[in-house]
Amino acid sequence: MTSMLAMHRFKLTGLLMTANTGLLLHLLAGEIKPVADWDWLDIAGEGGSALLLLTWLGLLLKSRPAGYVTNLLFMGLACLFFSLFMDTVDEFVALPDAVTWDGWLESGPMPIGFILMTLGIFHWHQEQLAINEQMRNRERVFREHRQFDKLTPLGDANYLRAQLQLTLADAAAQQQPVSLIMLDMNAFSRVNREYGYAEGDRLLQVLTQLMLLNLRTHDLLCRLAGDRFVIILPHTGERQAQILAEELEQAVRSLAYKSRAQGERLELSASVVALMARDEDPATLLERMNITMARAKQNLTVRYG
Amino acid sequence: MVRTERSDRWLECTTRFIPAHYQPASLIDLALGRGVNAHRLLQGTGLFHEDILTGNRLISPQQFLRMIENLQQQLQADDTSFLLGQQWLPGHYGAASHALSHAADLQDALERLVRLQPLLWPLLRLRLRVDERYIWLDWGDSFGADDQSIFLVEASMAAVTGMSQWLSGQRLPWTFHLAHAQPRHIEQYWVHLGEELRFASPLNQMCLPRSCLHHLWASASVTAGQVAEQEGLKMLMALPATCSLLDGLHDHLVAQVRQPLRLEGVAETFGMSPATLKRKLQKHGTGFQQQLDHARARVAMELYQSRGYSSDEVADYLNFNDRANFRRSLRRWTGLLPSELGNWLARY
Repeated sequence: MTSMLAMHRFKLTGLLMTANTGLLLHLLAGEIKPVADWDWLDIAGEGGSALLLLTWLGLLLKSRPAGYVTNLLFMGLACLFFSLFMDTVDEFVALPDAVTWDGWLESGPMPIGFILMTLGIFHWHQEQLAINEQMRNRERVFREHRQFDKLTPLGDANYLRAQLQLTLADAAAQQQPVSLIMLDMNAFSRVNREYGYAEGDRLLQVLTQLMLLNLRTHDLLCRLAGDRFVIILPHTGERQAQILAEELEQAVRSLAYKSRAQGERLELSASVVALMARDEDPATLLERMNITMARAKQNLTVRYG
Repeated sequence: MVRTERSDRWLECTTRFIPAHYQPASLIDLALGRGVNAHRLLQGTGLFHEDILTGNRLISPQQFLRMIENLQQQLQADDTSFLLGQQWLPGHYGAASHALSHAADLQDALERLVRLQPLLWPLLRLRLRVDERYIWLDWGDSFGADDQSIFLVEASMAAVTGMSQWLSGQRLPWTFHLAHAQPRHIEQYWVHLGEELRFASPLNQMCLPRSCLHHLWASASVTAGQVAEQEGLKMLMALPATCSLLDGLHDHLVAQVRQPLRLEGVAETFGMSPATLKRKLQKHGTGFQQQLDHARARVAMELYQSRGYSSDEVADYLNFNDRANFRRSLRRWTGLLPSELGNWLARY
């Protein structure tokens, strides 16, 4: 996280120096007011707002990589902060009437700041659309970062349950079928055992990418647990789901995955089952799916896994 | 197994006997691989990562349990216990692991696991029971695991499931009984254990049809396995003691379950004063009555499951004259009334 801030250190230094210059100008030109003349309400209002803006700036810089949109948002917030800061300083320092530049310092940056912020937020929206495109097949309707599995990263079992609830309700209202695919790798624990967790984790990430490439626009991929994934297929009947399931199974089989250390090819295969949702709640549906998977695994020729 | 050295010394939660580069090392590897800070992981254990890398550090169960507690706090993932368990057996613990890897069949492997347990699975005591139809595994808490007990049970079950699957080359039809209520992350149980899960059970148990015991395992080398077991037993003898105090007490209570059992008498058998025994039990976060309840629960379950006793017969066996008292006691031991337990058993 500190590295994120370090990336923006020139911007921060610039802001600090500008604010400092404003302060020095005030001190040079004017005199400090006696405490009795301080207007505490103004100080709390303007000073507090300036402090909050500084917090926003910190959070913004901490969470965003450098770039066009970040610069716009930063400059906007910086102008607003500067203007409020000058307002606050004004409460403590009395300037002679001959000085007129203080009005400019207080009110000038404010509109510029608002314009820059508006531009920034507009471009942020554009950027978010681009990111949403990357998140396609990983999330739908709502975002809940606490329900995202850190490894793959896909929605976890809780996200899946919440999504199933939504999808099933939608489907019932529109009288459309919903199908589910469950994919479980065969002999996956062998990878962890023979190559270590790091290799197993990497394989899961690769498999996630592979599956995402094979999905349609509205399908949603989630990681149930371990090496077991579930895909929600809205507006899809069982036959279509079966075809998709077979395609996924083939995709996994023909993936020529190489281990990181030796570069040797790992023979991969997956058990994939598809089901159409009946009139049932998410928990029952998942349980039914799970039992279907258990049966499919029993009939495997390579039964380890 | 008869333990002849019973009056001498016991493993306690502060005895340093677990090589830090065995089971704790794979925990550290997993944690570091998932981005947990090594310092945070070892916080409060008095250990440093460098110590563990030297390969000659012994740690106590208390330190190991603290490490697990830290891991649970630092790594908020539901699959940690299962992943660790899968890695823990047969493991890389010298001769003891070899003995396990070269077992001829499941029975051989489980018996070795029981005999070499302090080396292979130091925190919980594995108990094996074979009756006419089933084999039953259950776990005793050797050192007062307390808040980590669910984690350890998940890990143990994943370990035995994973090991039997790995060595036999197939998924075995295990049934899992878990004492805790069904958790939210049930999918982890599905994926890492299996579908036959029963939560809110009287004991933590795994059960398998007896017919699976004697399928020969292809990868086994029988002679190498026997030699490794002998070496493993020598390693076991080199430990400060071969049995934990709580396990020793449990065995004694089970053996004497039909006699009236009191703290004073038991302390005398163990060659210590009642106050000392009481203090030692407190150190492990437990008490005499709790241990006695646990021993009786286990005996009762064995009578119900393996001998098909009725509740009346179990009450008679355990010398309960008063039926109401037996109902209350059974409820305390297993969480179920006799009638509920009857239903639970019938649903098999």
